[in-house]
Amino acid sequence: MSLVQRPKPISKWYLPGILSGLGLTFAKMMKNLFIYVKSGKHTVTYNYPEEKYEYSPRYKGNHVLTVKKDGSLRCTACMLCATNCPAECIKIVAAEHEDPSVEKYPISYEIDILRCVFCGFCEEACPVDAIRMGPEWQTPGLNGSQFVYDIKQLAYRPQLKGGIVSVVDEEERHRAGI
Amino acid sequence: MLQCTINGKELEVKPGTTIIEAMKLIAHEDIAHYCWHPGLPVAGVCRLCVVEIEGNPRLQIACNTQITDGMKITNQSEKVKEAVKWGLDFHLINHPLDCPICDQAGECELQNQYMKFGKYDSEMAEPKVKKHKVVDLGPRVVLDSERCILCSRCVRFTDEVTKTHELGIFNRGDRSEIGTFNGRPLDNKYSLNTVDICPVGALTSKDFRFRQRVWFLKEHQTICTGCSTGCNVKVSYNKEGLFRVKPVYNEQVNGYWMCDEGRDVYKYVNKPARLLDAWMTTAGRGEWLHPLTAAKKVGEFLRAPENKGKSVALVLTGQHTLEEYEALISFFKNEVGTDRIFHWVNNPESMNDFDGLLIRGDKNPNTKGLLETLERHGIKTEWKELIDGLSTGAIRTVVVAGPENQAVYPDFKAKVLELSKAQKLVWLTACKNEELERLQGDVTLIPLKTYIEKDGTFVNYAGLRQTVKKGLTVVANAMSLVEVAEAFKGVDVRPEEAPFKVGVGRVNNEATLQRGSL
Repeated sequence: MSLVQRPKPISKWYLPGILSGLGLTFAKMMKNLFIYVKSGKHTVTYNYPEEKYEYSPRYKGNHVLTVKKDGSLRCTACMLCATNCPAECIKIVAAEHEDPSVEKYPISYEIDILRCVFCGFCEEACPVDAIRMGPEWQTPGLNGSQFVYDIKQLAYRPQLKGGIVSVVDEEERHRAGI
Repeated sequence: MLQCTINGKELEVKPGTTIIEAMKLIAHEDIAHYCWHPGLPVAGVCRLCVVEIEGNPRLQIACNTQITDGMKITNQSEKVKEAVKWGLDFHLINHPLDCPICDQAGECELQNQYMKFGKYDSEMAEPKVKKHKVVDLGPRVVLDSERCILCSRCVRFTDEVTKTHELGIFNRGDRSEIGTFNGRPLDNKYSLNTVDICPVGALTSKDFRFRQRVWFLKEHQTICTGCSTGCNVKVSYNKEGLFRVKPVYNEQVNGYWMCDEGRDVYKYVNKPARLLDAWMTTAGRGEWLHPLTAAKKVGEFLRAPENKGKSVALVLTGQHTLEEYEALISFFKNEVGTDRIFHWVNNPESMNDFDGLLIRGDKNPNTKGLLETLERHGIKTEWKELIDGLSTGAIRTVVVAGPENQAVYPDFKAKVLELSKAQKLVWLTACKNEELERLQGDVTLIPLKTYIEKDGTFVNYAGLRQTVKKGLTVVANAMSLVEVAEAFKGVDVRPEEAPFKVGVGRVNNEATLQRGSL
């Protein structure tokens, strides 16, 4: 249970409020100027966009489609992510793979990132660790069509450096007799 | 009659009834069964329909035990539940975890059964037996041996229903597999029924394979228009169109089965095959019009004093509903004043063929209804009169209510050439066709609704009246012949639409693509 913290009567006064705010800003500025810069530590502010903040790998940002060891897509086109997606932003077209041990694979996998609410349900639903949410989030585009991500963007964009390998390996599973 | 008690409910059944049949008579009684199918002989191999009979020390299978007088049966006891649970465990020993790529997922008996009785962790330490995957059984069916639970329904189907004996069970023990002898393909006219009756995803249809997950599909019950048998079917559809056809049980018409040809009938309903707007040529220039506008223009022409009368001919096919025939024929008789109404017979030689099970040579769902309506209006004409009339110039205007299913009209091209001799040709058609688009001269094409988009009645070969209800709208502007007849009279009809519209709503992420550039 969370208790609502009512503001104290003194904060409703004009001057104490404004002065404490200015004090905080001034203190931070002084700290940046004389302590952080001298000691070589990072300052609190960043020179965005030249400097970017690295988010934790657990951050639920833009989607990543993982790949197998041979570099092909891990996704089996089971469409559980599309079923689970509350924003209906995933669209998959499945096809028959020529290798009978693979059988089904997506020939098209599109995420409408403008519709996506980044809830992470797709990641949760995936039975083979084929879709993950990565730490990237700054992905501007020039027009609407650039926000529909296809397989090339989701699995093989340059930031991923050739693709992220899924933890579920089909051959190991076969060997384990699943 | 025999008295018996099933789960505490008193029941009276005929002698010879098995327990499972009796349980199907009671509403809300549920019993698992994989190998038993009401349309097939009893095999008794899955051992999951076990029941406890009072006074009997061992559990019995319900599918092969006949009811005796005073029998007290239950399938709710702990003993039965335990037996079903472990029976299921045996079925799943070698069953692969293929659910993500299996087409049956969502309508799979094994999944349902596991969620109801199983929910255990497998106690098998040994690896699963590997068998053949993606075996090409024939032109329409694909087999996955690993998923097969050897219920033998498909084998019994080819043995007892089609009597073609293609399938069999090969090898022994846990290496048993379904297969065909010496690579002979599973190629009969009813082969896709084996896919329907397969309780798991071992047999899948090549046509439907991987195209949709079943939980994205809705179902609508209707009548198959592939031939004059009029099988009861359900079509599966969603926003992207129609995807497959499955039979629905009707003892009077088709039993549990339908033919493979009938399963292709949905294809012409989908948008790529359809005529979307009316095409009208006026003074040598063609233009696309709203169907209602085009139909009203044609109606004005037909009702004009200089054009009406015997110079107008109407050609009908057996592919529309009774109500539509009635509306159109009475318009032409009463308002246009012609009795030159002709019946286009697509295959006169094979009209009365019958293969002994379901398929009939008459490839129209409502030939009988058309003949009835023509007889009631006292119309008796022969095709020759139309040809003669066209060549002598006695018939100047021809209105054709063309076939929906053009694939079963081998003489389509020839008939188009014959009829194009008319000065003015009005072709009412649901599907587009190259021959029609190539026609020169005064031609009007008006898009019609297909059987899935309208209400109506079909009369099958035996005279049985079956109604179809509109289920979904594929082409928004298309009209039924009833609406066309109204529009011919000059009435502003608003085509009735089904609440579900194909292609409307979020299908293709159109919203983002239309946003334009910054």
